Amino acid sequence: MNFPPNSPSPLSRRDLLLKTGFGFGAMAASDLLAAANVSSETPLAVRQPHFPARAKRVIHLFMNGGPSQIDTFDPKPQLGKLDGQELPDSIKKTLQPTQRNRVGNIWASPFKFQKHGQSGLEISELFPKIARHADDLCVIRSMESEIANHSPGLLMMNCGHPVLPRPSIGSWALYGLGTESEDLPGYVVLIPSGMPTAQSRNWTSAFLPGVFQGTHIETNAKGGELIPHLTRDDIRAGTQRSQLALTQYFNRRHLKQHEGDERLDSRIHSMELAFRMQSAATDAFDINNEPESIRESYGDSAVGRNLLIARRLAERGVRYIQCYHGAGQPWDNHSALIPRIKDLCQESDQPIAALLEDLKLRGMLEDTLVIWGGEMGRTSTIQKGPKKIEQVGRDHHVDGFTIWMAGGGVKGGTVYGQTDDFGLGISENPVHVHDFHATVLHLLGFDHKKLTYRYSGRDFRLTDIAGQVVEDILA
Amino acid sequence: MSFPSSSFKIVALTALLAPALSARAVPKDDAAKGSVFFERHVRPILVTHCYECHSEAEETQKGGLLLDRERGWLEGGDTGKAVVPGNLDASLLVAAIRRVDEDSAMPPKEPLAESDVKLLEQWILRGAPGPADDMGETEFSKLGDQDYLFKKAKEHWAFQPVNPVEPPKVDDPRWNRSAIDCFVFANLKENGVEPTRRLPDTMLVRRLAFDLTGLPPQSDDYERPIDDLVGQFMDSPQFGEHFARMWLDVARYADTAATYRPDTKTPHYYPYAFTYRDYVIDAFNADKPYDQFIREQLAADLMGFPNDAPEMAALGFMGVSPIRNKSADFVDDVIDATTRGFLGMTAACSRCHDHKFEPIPTADYYSLYGVFSSVERPEPWDIEDFPKIKGYEPAAAMAEDYRKARAAIDQEIEKAGNSKKKGNNRSVAESIEQTKLAELLLTNDGAPARAMAVIEGKKPVDPIVFLRGEPGQKGDRVPRRFLKILDPDQPPFNEQDSGRLDLANKIADPENPLTARVFVNRVWGALIGSYLVDTPSDFGLQGSAPTHPELLDWLAADFVANGWSLKHLVRTIVDSETYRQSSRPRPDLAESDPDNRLLARANAKRLQIEELRDSLLAVSGNLDPRMRGRSGELWGPDHSNRRTIYGYINRFNLDPTLRAFDFPTPVQSQEKRTESVVAPQALFTMNSPFVIEQSKALIDRLNFTEGVTREARINAVFQAVFHRDAAAPEHERIGKFIDLEKGRKVNPWPLLAQSLFMSNEFLYVD
Repeated sequence: MNFPPNSPSPLSRRDLLLKTGFGFGAMAASDLLAAANVSSETPLAVRQPHFPARAKRVIHLFMNGGPSQIDTFDPKPQLGKLDGQELPDSIKKTLQPTQRNRVGNIWASPFKFQKHGQSGLEISELFPKIARHADDLCVIRSMESEIANHSPGLLMMNCGHPVLPRPSIGSWALYGLGTESEDLPGYVVLIPSGMPTAQSRNWTSAFLPGVFQGTHIETNAKGGELIPHLTRDDIRAGTQRSQLALTQYFNRRHLKQHEGDERLDSRIHSMELAFRMQSAATDAFDINNEPESIRESYGDSAVGRNLLIARRLAERGVRYIQCYHGAGQPWDNHSALIPRIKDLCQESDQPIAALLEDLKLRGMLEDTLVIWGGEMGRTSTIQKGPKKIEQVGRDHHVDGFTIWMAGGGVKGGTVYGQTDDFGLGISENPVHVHDFHATVLHLLGFDHKKLTYRYSGRDFRLTDIAGQVVEDILA
Repeated sequence: MSFPSSSFKIVALTALLAPALSARAVPKDDAAKGSVFFERHVRPILVTHCYECHSEAEETQKGGLLLDRERGWLEGGDTGKAVVPGNLDASLLVAAIRRVDEDSAMPPKEPLAESDVKLLEQWILRGAPGPADDMGETEFSKLGDQDYLFKKAKEHWAFQPVNPVEPPKVDDPRWNRSAIDCFVFANLKENGVEPTRRLPDTMLVRRLAFDLTGLPPQSDDYERPIDDLVGQFMDSPQFGEHFARMWLDVARYADTAATYRPDTKTPHYYPYAFTYRDYVIDAFNADKPYDQFIREQLAADLMGFPNDAPEMAALGFMGVSPIRNKSADFVDDVIDATTRGFLGMTAACSRCHDHKFEPIPTADYYSLYGVFSSVERPEPWDIEDFPKIKGYEPAAAMAEDYRKARAAIDQEIEKAGNSKKKGNNRSVAESIEQTKLAELLLTNDGAPARAMAVIEGKKPVDPIVFLRGEPGQKGDRVPRRFLKILDPDQPPFNEQDSGRLDLANKIADPENPLTARVFVNRVWGALIGSYLVDTPSDFGLQGSAPTHPELLDWLAADFVANGWSLKHLVRTIVDSETYRQSSRPRPDLAESDPDNRLLARANAKRLQIEELRDSLLAVSGNLDPRMRGRSGELWGPDHSNRRTIYGYINRFNLDPTLRAFDFPTPVQSQEKRTESVVAPQALFTMNSPFVIEQSKALIDRLNFTEGVTREARINAVFQAVFHRDAAAPEHERIGKFIDLEKGRKVNPWPLLAQSLFMSNEFLYVD
């Protein structure tokens, strides 16, 4: 996007000096700013995309570690006959070297698949509750990434490059659209406790201005610790209010002597915003304010709380919300896949189903894009090693893994793309991560080729020099 | 006459695969018929299957190949000619659509129908006629055309020799004393704009204190003549502590790598990074000539210094790379920091292909690649691999403390032997080394201080170009040598070592048109608050043009002529009227020059996070002035009270307060800081225990006794924070606050102090 229109440098220094803040942009139209006579073109101000958006916000459920598609959303009944057999050499050689060296025999999924909903979408028994929303899901079974490992996979999925520091998709979304949230960060990353692999690089703004970086919040932390310095408890709110009023008195006197310096004025407003944020943010993250029935539907678990907070943030206008399943890479089931994936699915099945239901009831699913998926998938073979069935697991795999989307302008109840009979290659409609990014940006109203930022002598974009919108899945 | 085997293959291939076509030489159709054939049969195939990646319409030329024009396929892409008319075997396009080898098979996803393949072959055999209205060369197709870019570069200002122009004659007695002022004033006059009046001395003291030391002035600084004060500030060790930060942004300095150990979730520590930070501070304090500063950072180990010389710490410029191992990404990072940092050239863009916008062919990238991949990076806990640095000898008690802790860890390592934990590739011993031992080296003041150095490898690397940046795809061999645009003959560097010193000498050459310009622009930006060249690390064709080109050249020439002296440069700038103007906004220029590019006034500056934290400590009286040594915690219950430049910087989880205040993420060389105003900054001043602690400490320090009046107390707080008394209305307003809070049984004084810390008067410098 060229912003301001057609300017080679989308954000001039002067723009950056203007009012910015957690959602401060949303107030641009309000009398506060109007009185200050400041341009509404601030970094976080709400901006119109290239064309009308289908999704206003994204909730990205990140199954970090690489969930097995073979056992969840990509049934391979053909493998039943081949179960336990060695992989043909011709297929073996298509694997990435690391995987090739430790590939074991074919392992058909031990879990049953069933058709669900009017669409007849096939989902495994591991997700009975999500399955009730089959007609809302748009399952892409032909995802393709580049390097079959976690860190590069996560960075590819989030930032479009496996190695180099590039802005994350949430940063691009915020850069393009601004935020509608008055007193919360526009891009929030929720982690139950402990960082995912690749850490904060997953939500970096890289060379985009720092205001577009994701704010990560450990939702298992106590209220006041969610956002640094959100509150102080050694004085009462009334005293803090009167202290702030005194500061603002000094600030207004100072402003009078420096009339014309927009920054001073914007800082005065940012202090008011910060004061309001103390209670607003505390409230947004406090799920005790939800009715018990809602809390019960999500379940009293780390993932449940995370997703309920995600919905509260979505409701308050946060633009991009990413929820990691847990610290590190929990879905990385190299061994003991059966017991572990059962746990992981059980942990997430109810909360995700509840989130979809909740969004639907509130009429928010229409313009909220929900994304489910990891940084890659897993092989249809076991990884060499253990003999006992309860100890075996699957290796990393990037050529033909599954993600799904719901709401926000995608066709529900559809399957797009296919993997081959071995579940190890893509036989139809490959969707590279760049294509996926192009599609998400399209749903947010952007031509991915035009949402660019000039850095180090080049116009960078999320999709580098690739990416094609997957038209067939658009509703 | 012998037939090369390839000719035979053409015949065979054509005969086998395209039996309908004759293998005989095909006369070239006349142009009209040819272009009809192209449009009717060839273009549709290309549009459907190829243009997505190889056409201007889609704005992509993958692999440097365009298939929407004749010269596109004739010249071909990175791997060679796509089409050789009449010659199927020499045409890479044929091999690609015939899918001869998997890597280069095209289109990548789905093979062309056999009929399409035959049509394209037929087209090539007909002489590959192009469209009637061929696009020929366009701006787009010239992207990456190095001949074109080199031609363009010949006229680009930044590649011209520095041209020391005589400053224009100026009559105004206030504006004709310094060369800087003559340039700025003449330019203002030309634009019909008047400069702004001088900042009153009382306010100039504060500006100079922050710009030269990063700290607020002391009360007696207001008593001294400005000239003396400038000297005093520049001679103080705080000068180096302040200016070092400017360079550390460029050098992407931090105390850890950007990654962490997945099993222990601890960062990869750089326990000796601090010696590099100290080296930069010392270099600026000692006014080390900048050319020497460059050489030492790239090649101190090749300059004949004794192994324990303090200069060896300069090698940390490479050693503190965000990439921890000696991988291609490490080399890339060092090439990036070196070329953008010293030269304002974006050479790292040429890793995978010739630069699209700058005169930097891939071969140049790999010449530098050879230089930096010729170094080794020992593991930090292999202490003896790092040069010992003089000047950090610990007190006996500290040394003993370290020895004890070290012995305990060593014992643990020995006990672990070669054992491994289940599911972990690293041995337990390694794990202890990388965590406990590295943490001890990082934090214990009795631990040995070393240079965070790289060392010469056994044998210098003769680099090979990696096509598309992939180490598996080998191209031509290139010598280690300098960039062609700056060194047209490109003599190879010496063969005995990595060539880092040769490279440093090329960069530090007074004839190099970029080095001095880039550095004086950085210093100008730090002092003036805006840059002459607004893209400080990009002086290339894509960079911004200088607002005052002659001034930039004058400063660069003067800088070199005065022994590359930073202090001379700083003094020259702060002595100018341009610098000393008032920063008051100019409503008359709000429309015509909103960004103050003409310099008709000074820029009011917001304190950077380092200056803010240091000011809080200075005013509260808690500032610990000790210099050098290991990094400490910035906030938190055990925070250090030393200056912020001595704070621990964890790259893999950058401190949220630093981030909130625009501290640049040190994962790559940073050219300048953004300046945002966000609510978390306000939350920090309102709620952080650190700020609250300093507020209380200030009131404790002022030590109000019973008899001191309210008015005197208020003035004492104002003097400490603002260096002025409170005005009458301020007294009145504060009085109300005090009465209210006293009524609430709250001690109002620390809250008043904090209220000033929260104010704009504290945060902005006129």
